[in-house]
Amino acid sequence: MIELDLSAPFDQHRATVLPEWIDWNGHMNVGFYVVAFDKATDTLCAQFGCSWDYTKAEIGMTFVLEAHVTYDREVKEGDPLRITTQILDHDAKRLHFMHCMYHGTEGYLAATNELMLMNIDYESRRSAPWPEWAMDRIERLAAAHKRLPVPRQAGRLIGIRRK
Amino acid sequence: MLDSLPYELPELVTRAPLDVHRSTVLPEWVDWNGHMNVAFYVAAFDQASGAFMRNMGLGRRYVDGKLGMTFVLETHVTYDREVRGGAPLRFTTQLLARDAKKVHLFHEMFHDEQDYLAATNEVIVMNIDYATRRSAPWPAPVAERLEALWSAHKDLPRPLKAGRVMRLAKRQEPSSAAV
Repeated sequence: MIELDLSAPFDQHRATVLPEWIDWNGHMNVGFYVVAFDKATDTLCAQFGCSWDYTKAEIGMTFVLEAHVTYDREVKEGDPLRITTQILDHDAKRLHFMHCMYHGTEGYLAATNELMLMNIDYESRRSAPWPEWAMDRIERLAAAHKRLPVPRQAGRLIGIRRK
Repeated sequence: MLDSLPYELPELVTRAPLDVHRSTVLPEWVDWNGHMNVAFYVAAFDQASGAFMRNMGLGRRYVDGKLGMTFVLETHVTYDREVRGGAPLRFTTQLLARDAKKVHLFHEMFHDEQDYLAATNEVIVMNIDYATRRSAPWPAPVAERLEALWSAHKDLPRPLKAGRVMRLAKRQEPSSAAV
């Protein structure tokens, strides 16, 4: 397994807005923000051994149960992206965390993505506890992230505010 | 506010909920887990929002005519059951709220043959002025259509999965998984 990175927040994932992610409004389409965030989820899962190797070896998979995205500012084709990740909570089978996407050079917040992820057994395709070796790393990441303030975009309820 | 739109608007559908959008899971939407990837649920739901907007009179001509655009501010998805490549999808859409510039929509995605609920999407969409790229009130004919649709939708029961806050405390399992 790769070396565990306990920086808080986790700050390894980088990407670039691809031409095929742009829609007729001339900016990254809502769906492709989630494509970009999902790749950041892979980078996170690699930290505790539950990324592509985990599925390729037919051990398990991770399924998203729920996702919440705030679109804070537009990004355009070719823009560099930096995605940071903060673990908010976890239990025997699930992981609750939040990604923040920043413009890589201008530094502004472009979007946030709060996620609930569940471990899945490959064979039965049903929920299963995290493998012990994964849980050990998840615990250490969660402990490292515990002191971070909860992002204000976490736990949001969608609605139109009454004026 | 735009007082009119320089093109003919489609006939308004006011069914409650709206059920105009259909789609199919494309091969490129499937990931290494052999099912539709999380992001492409959002892309599929975005097309359902597009269908809602066309019904309001805000289709491609609205953007191509450099009049305005609609931007998504926020989206919340529940992934209820897997769908595979080629699966036919059916969407329903309920207008939960509207104001001068925004709509609050709730989509449900069903497998169109097996009829199960695959996912839900709660979304806020805002009208944008083309030139300034900033929020702007709905064009008058659109506001009028929204009111007509609101009359048809306002008495629908609030969907169970609307207004969710994500947390671990409550047990969540996809309906296909063992508890």
